[in-house]
Amino acid sequence: MAEFWTGYALPTVITVAQILAIVVPLLLAVAYYTYAERKVLAWAQLRKGPNVVGPFGLLQPIADAVKLLMKETVIPSGANRIVFVAAPMLTFVLALIAWAVIPFDVGLVLADINVGILYLFAISSLGVYGVIMAGWASNSKYAFLGALRSAAQMVSYEVSIGFVIVCVLLLAGSLNLTQIVVAQDRGWGFLGWNWLPLLPMFVVFLVSMLAETNRAPFDLPEGESELVAGFFVEYSSMSFALFFLGEYANMLLMSGMTAVLFLGGWLPPVDVAPFTWIPGPVWFALKIALVAFLFLWVRATFPRYRYDQLMRLGWKVFLPLSLFWLVLTAGVLVAMGWLPE
Amino acid sequence: MIVQALAFYAFSAVAIASAVMVISSRNPVHSVFYLILAFFNAAGLFVLLGAEFLAMILVVVYVGAVAVLFLFVVMMLDVNFVELRQGFLQYLPIGATVGAILLVELVFIFSAWAFGGGTLAAPAPDPTEIANTHALGNLLYTRYVFAFQAAGLVLLVAMIGAIVLTLRQRVGVRRQKIARQVSRARAEAVEVVKVPTGQGV
Amino acid sequence: MPSFPLPPLSPALPEIFLAAASMALLLFGVFRGERAAREASWLAALALVVAVVLVLGGGGPRQLALYGMFVTDAFAVFMKVLVLLGGIFAIVMSIRWNEQARIARFEFPVLVLLATTGMMMMVSAADLISLYIGLELQSLSLYVLAGFKRDTVRSAEAGLKYFVLGALASGMMLYGCSMVYGFAGATDFATLAATLSGGETLAIGPLVGIVFVVVGLAFKVSAVPFHMWTPDVYEGAPTPVTAFFSVAPKVAAIALFLRVMIEPFGGYVADWRQVIWLISVASMVLGSVAAINQSNFKRLMAYSSIGHIGYALIGLAAGSKEGVESVLIYMAIYVFMNVGTFAVILLMRRNGEDVEAIDDLQGLAQTHPALALSLAIFMFAMAGIPPLSGFFGKLYVFMAAINAELYVLAVIGVVTSVVGAYYYIRIVKLMYFDAPKPAFDRPFGAEMSAVLAVTAVVTLFFFIAPSVVVDSAAAAAASLFPG
Repeated sequence: MAEFWTGYALPTVITVAQILAIVVPLLLAVAYYTYAERKVLAWAQLRKGPNVVGPFGLLQPIADAVKLLMKETVIPSGANRIVFVAAPMLTFVLALIAWAVIPFDVGLVLADINVGILYLFAISSLGVYGVIMAGWASNSKYAFLGALRSAAQMVSYEVSIGFVIVCVLLLAGSLNLTQIVVAQDRGWGFLGWNWLPLLPMFVVFLVSMLAETNRAPFDLPEGESELVAGFFVEYSSMSFALFFLGEYANMLLMSGMTAVLFLGGWLPPVDVAPFTWIPGPVWFALKIALVAFLFLWVRATFPRYRYDQLMRLGWKVFLPLSLFWLVLTAGVLVAMGWLPE
Repeated sequence: MIVQALAFYAFSAVAIASAVMVISSRNPVHSVFYLILAFFNAAGLFVLLGAEFLAMILVVVYVGAVAVLFLFVVMMLDVNFVELRQGFLQYLPIGATVGAILLVELVFIFSAWAFGGGTLAAPAPDPTEIANTHALGNLLYTRYVFAFQAAGLVLLVAMIGAIVLTLRQRVGVRRQKIARQVSRARAEAVEVVKVPTGQGV
Repeated sequence: MPSFPLPPLSPALPEIFLAAASMALLLFGVFRGERAAREASWLAALALVVAVVLVLGGGGPRQLALYGMFVTDAFAVFMKVLVLLGGIFAIVMSIRWNEQARIARFEFPVLVLLATTGMMMMVSAADLISLYIGLELQSLSLYVLAGFKRDTVRSAEAGLKYFVLGALASGMMLYGCSMVYGFAGATDFATLAATLSGGETLAIGPLVGIVFVVVGLAFKVSAVPFHMWTPDVYEGAPTPVTAFFSVAPKVAAIALFLRVMIEPFGGYVADWRQVIWLISVASMVLGSVAAINQSNFKRLMAYSSIGHIGYALIGLAAGSKEGVESVLIYMAIYVFMNVGTFAVILLMRRNGEDVEAIDDLQGLAQTHPALALSLAIFMFAMAGIPPLSGFFGKLYVFMAAINAELYVLAVIGVVTSVVGAYYYIRIVKLMYFDAPKPAFDRPFGAEMSAVLAVTAVVTLFFFIAPSVVVDSAAAAAASLFPG
């Protein structure tokens, strides 16, 4: 019996506590990310944004959540019920489970697996299923068109993201995310992080990240003007809220991925006294916030792409560019004898 | 060990059940979903075997790309599924026979292994010594470099083939010429006219 | 990180050169656009000629390369030269025909090059994995080529049919390979041979595996009972593609057949001989009987090629060094007479339309005496009339069978070749003794005339210097049998 407690029950409890320690702050962050979006957009458009509910409108996301929870769930009569209900859950769950491998500091990670980056890539490539299932199960042509667009778009941009990731792998010599961050500690502070040596790939990744999360200017799957709301036009109440949370959690995840791959994870930007006093997780959070702000800034600034332009950019510009850069990176590493390990 | 054993039975049971559902579900879209579930459980089994790289690649390639396109096609097809299923019983005996033969042969092989048919089992590298991504890379780019490169050629042929058999040059289409758009100067597009008051352009 | 030395690549130089050339040609075509078809074809032919030189220059003692996945020996050199000749002829013959059929696109020679690369890999395979990958490379290219004239239903049907059945055959073969691997624990031929040797007869497991491998290979060489795709694909595919189909893949697949059966499983000839025996007899019988009723020349050639594969397999059934030698000679002769016949078929155009019926050849002797003469040479050779080359091919094969005490097989071979002679000679009769039909379109083009002349001369005057082929075939066969 004692073995049961120490061998099984205790690890389970610890793991659950760790999961909660990640998920609860994450959900809070997601809630306030929506608030941040409205505020940032408002400032960009010289408006005030939410300012009624609570001081500075700070309780607005809570009020929105409560409102969505209270509403009735409507399932369209022609819909495929199981798939219709499963789709938002899938989106939301995928956005959460990816955080299992994100390192917040040395050793501060739920699952320090060998193939962390592949796990992230796999999970992000599954995101398309939520969209495609929702679009198909809704039995509505707008939703279906949105789903088709989204599937084509996400699969296309995944290819260049994959090549970008391989470039990063070549520099780190490992698929483990902690190793990838540690490898960026080249002793030159923020100038040694991957964003500088891989600058073109950093840009490719940032743009592909927008397309992968279906965010402006690549938000064609939900383009209001022609598809009403795209794949989730038929969703309401809690299932809508799950899509919403999933989308913003995915944006944060992508920001976290950018921070880990290119911005040195938890490393301080300059390796001297006042900066090193601040703990790693704080730096990591700041970096995530920076990239997350970029999402909003882009949305406020750029008009939506046309679909053929989107595909052209993915296949005819990013794919050759990232392929070329991959060969270049590998070539330079081999020629200069800089291969890790 | 008991957790691993439980996980193994769970993954295998779900994999087999979803494989059965792939061929028996009425709606082909559901079939594809079950297929994806089967892939997932296969990936889970790989993880249990300590082959985490293969597991992730299985998910990335099969679930993340191949099955999406598959689903894409199946969703857009307008097939009469009742009609499609009518041959099922008719072909069942021959299908079952072929399946049974293949099964018997697999049993042969495994029994030959189990009872020592003088076979050489290739030793798997110790997972504590080398990460299996490294182990795979060491083999793939050395011992099997020829097969690896030739497989690349096979994929190239598939790509050329798809383009040759489907790409059509449509006539009368106005294509976007990005370079021309970008190189367009203000002077070409806009003319600023000073309009005297009350006289019109 | 441990460092690995690059394995010596020189044994695979012809393959590497061809692969690189096909990719360069692809780039060339993409940048030049649709106009590049003619230049791309000539460049591809040039690349194949260079590859012949490289293959001949790389000849020498048996050499394993690329970690035992790849082998070069006299056998490989012999078969590769035949494959490359088939490729050169096919590309040269395709240029005018494709332009007239409005399918002149630069991808055609690129695909032929890639297919040829795959065939050379097959010929040099020393491992079940490289065997399969080479086979897939050539098959995939050929599926596309069969459907190349995509606007016609028959070509699309040919491509699709070939693809579905080919994929099935590949699957069978892969299953067989996996069974062999499961029992022997290795995929390379040398280890397989070492592991499997020692028993009186082959264990049941590897034997079942071999049967599956044989099924896959029999499909690729279109031997009965896996021949069903052949007539439809031959008829539907664009004629230059059919010409290519009828020589290069056959040679490569026969080479693979010989190497797989002799190298790893050579100690158990008695175990697999019945299977080859059966396939061979069925192919010869079907090839000669079913061809009689055909009215379409391309279909007729399909059945004819099934029959020829049957004869070639007699040599394999013998399982001896002499048998292998006879197969090599047979294939060398077959390439020339078949290419020549297809050159004639490609020239059968009337008022800008292709005609493929045998009756269209009526009175050819009066309208185009030279064409009729060369076709007559090829037909007599295929029928096995001495002193033309086809006779020697059959002679060596039957002799090998008799020396291996396969008397029944030899007798069946003789009988079916007599039956087969009927339809070959009927074509000669149509050309020389029937009232003429309107003449075919002229001009034929210098390159077509050259191909016809070369193949006709080789077929007609083979008997003057047979030693060129026979000696190198003997050396090639010897390299397959160690010690």
